Amino acid sequence: MISRRDFLKLSALVTASAALSSCAPVYRRLAGGLPTIPWTPLDANDFLALNRLTFGPRVEERARFAGIGLQAYIEEQLDFESIDDFECEILLNPFKTIRMNADEIEGVTNQLFDGYDRERPATELRQATLLRQIYSKRQLYELMVEFWSDHFNIFIEKEPCFYLKPVDDREVIRKHALGSFRDLVWASAHSPAMLVYLDNQANEKSAPNENYARELMELHTLGVDGGYSQQDVMELARCLTGWNVKEHFWLGDFVFNEDIHDTGVKNVLGLKIQNAGVKEVEQVIERLVTHPSTARFIATKLTRRFIADDPPQVIVEKAAQTFLNTNGDIKSVLRVILLDGLALAQPKYKRPVNFIASAIRMTNTETDGAGVQDYLLRMGQTYFNWPTPDGYPDVSAPWQNNLMPRWQFAFELIRNEIAGTKNNLNHLLDVASTGILEDDVDALTSLLLGSPLERLARDGLIDSVSSADASPEETLQVLAAGILASPAFQWR
Amino acid sequence: MLHPLPTLQQHKPWMPRLAFAPHNVAPRGDTLVVVFLRGAADILNMVVPHGEEAYYRLRPSLGIPRPDDSSAKQNERALDLDGFFGFHPSMQALLDAWTSQQLAIIHACGAPDESRSHFKAMELMERGVDDERGPASGWIGRHLATLNTGNSSPLRAVGMGTRPQRSLSGTVPVSALRSIADFHLGGDQRALQQMRVALNTVYENDVLGQDTLSIMDTLETLDPLTYSAARGTIYPDSEFGLALKQTAMLIKAKVGLEVSAIDVGGWDTHFAQGSTTGLMPNLMKDLADGLAAFHADMQDHMNQLTTVTMSEFGRRASENGSLGTDHGHGSMMMVLGGNVDGGKVHGEWPGLEEGQMIGPGDLAVTTDYRDVLSEVLVKRLKNPATNEIFPDYSPNMPNLLK
Repeated sequence: MISRRDFLKLSALVTASAALSSCAPVYRRLAGGLPTIPWTPLDANDFLALNRLTFGPRVEERARFAGIGLQAYIEEQLDFESIDDFECEILLNPFKTIRMNADEIEGVTNQLFDGYDRERPATELRQATLLRQIYSKRQLYELMVEFWSDHFNIFIEKEPCFYLKPVDDREVIRKHALGSFRDLVWASAHSPAMLVYLDNQANEKSAPNENYARELMELHTLGVDGGYSQQDVMELARCLTGWNVKEHFWLGDFVFNEDIHDTGVKNVLGLKIQNAGVKEVEQVIERLVTHPSTARFIATKLTRRFIADDPPQVIVEKAAQTFLNTNGDIKSVLRVILLDGLALAQPKYKRPVNFIASAIRMTNTETDGAGVQDYLLRMGQTYFNWPTPDGYPDVSAPWQNNLMPRWQFAFELIRNEIAGTKNNLNHLLDVASTGILEDDVDALTSLLLGSPLERLARDGLIDSVSSADASPEETLQVLAAGILASPAFQWR
Repeated sequence: MLHPLPTLQQHKPWMPRLAFAPHNVAPRGDTLVVVFLRGAADILNMVVPHGEEAYYRLRPSLGIPRPDDSSAKQNERALDLDGFFGFHPSMQALLDAWTSQQLAIIHACGAPDESRSHFKAMELMERGVDDERGPASGWIGRHLATLNTGNSSPLRAVGMGTRPQRSLSGTVPVSALRSIADFHLGGDQRALQQMRVALNTVYENDVLGQDTLSIMDTLETLDPLTYSAARGTIYPDSEFGLALKQTAMLIKAKVGLEVSAIDVGGWDTHFAQGSTTGLMPNLMKDLADGLAAFHADMQDHMNQLTTVTMSEFGRRASENGSLGTDHGHGSMMMVLGGNVDGGKVHGEWPGLEEGQMIGPGDLAVTTDYRDVLSEVLVKRLKNPATNEIFPDYSPNMPNLLK
């Protein structure tokens, strides 16, 4: 006799294979199938840690964490290349432009007879980004991709970044997200999207443009009080003259244009730089990435992202020291911040991306990553859409007053009213269900908030929403939406 | 409520108790409506300098005939305002506001930036800065941040459209509102009622949550389709008309609206813009009809309401070879409200003769747009912090408000 649980597993797999073979829309089958054991409650510290190490923990991630402990879990995630992510990669197949070079992407957007499909690369990149955050098993890596996408922010709507940013995402951010900071800055400096976004293609000997030179020091390395002067900015801008982007053959590739390069002697941060063409910037970047101000600036930002809006100085200092000792090895710095810092973590308000991703992941929702983009727009965090080079705010305050779209998302997610998105909360809860509403609510709150509510609170919540003509299942649905919309779920 | 829910808070002892400003949904000064004409509006054909010879020389095809030009049809002539300037005939609807002296025009008004790039000019203007080095937030965002009205409404500042305008960005959260229906929680009545109760329970001790709930309840009953405007006014059936109508509805619903930002697109008229009919006249008609309807509908609120129109720059004084106009410099602003020194064209007119224009033949700027906004901020919105809102700029008040 087949049990109810087995039946559910089986039917989920059948549905999943049907969805996969039909390909469009790209529905995702349940991650790893249904869990075979109900999730155990996590204490507040562990739940918080998992919330910082993932875009909202799935039940299998809870189980893994409970099984191997914080330290081993962090090591496993840091060693991201050893984590098989084939299932996530398959989902990205339809998004051809994320694998193309700039020239090809521009060609794709320009081949229609009836116009210029300029939206496609950005749309595909946004969809792929969300799907990776939700389905990748390399969660810490994806969190770092998000971090560097803010740090090296590029506004995809600035012409012609729409066909350059997908290459930057792949060759700069994703390639070096957990690698060496030096390589990351080096790659970013050669990234046509960055050079265009910060106007370096207009930086010529006869008419210097300081924009990129300044942000390279202010936002990418030293930090605003990192010890550089306006003179340093101007001198670095001179070094960067001629760092440009091809506009014709191999459109969108990096090119060093010697004709507009300033060949005079420069002095950046006390470093005398003789005329050496494209090699000049190499010397400056070497200086910047090994500078103590840079170590401190990056350590501060990472600690703010993973630990607290107001980063604990003891962690910042240790991380900065590690940065210097390891020549900017990102994994080593992150390891220190997580292992030493998580115990000091303060609550952070979920940014819209994190709110949406966590709601989807924790309820085991299937999504094609398209319909939910509209909610990100209304909450104010469309991917690659922050106009200024400082990236989306990484503190709680700017995000706290826009509750309505969060409530709507929660309600519509649970009611399955979002295009291309289907939640499997009922299946998930069925696994743990005893058939008693109170138990189901405990399973639900344990799933979404870490551990069950105290009895009084739980019963109060159930009483308040119970309605004579609603079935327990319908009531459970509203409770799920209410918990996703609640203040507790907005913080991680 | 059957049971209070202290344990939802206790459950997460690390959840901060946030400090909130006092609960008060009354704006301190006027409600401000900012209408941005995206794409650099051709203001020389909106408020026509019909007293200027050069205008007709530079625009042989696109020029709008003088009010007394008997060779042109009556309905194709400029509508005289003060003997020198006249409205384009498509803007006739605004004559009422003009004659009631609640509409002021500031001509040859704009920003110092001469990039003639939409992206750059809009960016700088919305941030209220001279170059990219200024603060990343927008001027309205800084206004909200520097004026504590004690108003924690999520609708304190609203960007009509899919996302908040750049000018609104800053530390005070703002909402984007495509439609009042964005603030409706859809679904069948029973589920909706249950959800409403669930939200009330989980947000019991949360001021922002309670504010949002009360606004949700208010807006739940509002529907732009059945809204009846004062004086039988009909708003134009356009995106702009809908945005103004919904602004009026929000003001009347008293949900704490202090700023509404509205975009009107389509003004980048390089090609066949039309003189008295066509592309641009249609845009002007939508603009004028919308503002006139708003003015009529909101008559009883005019003492607490100021509306400003602006565009990133103006267009070339001479028409181009494809019956359009290219990117220029000086623009024009309109200010509509009960306390405006209206029925006047303010600002110094620099002229359109050679030597009077700048760059490749563009209207000069004699009034900085920040002068106009500063006066509105100080006199009507009661915010004196113009040095923070427009850093490194010392405004000269053009005296267009009483």
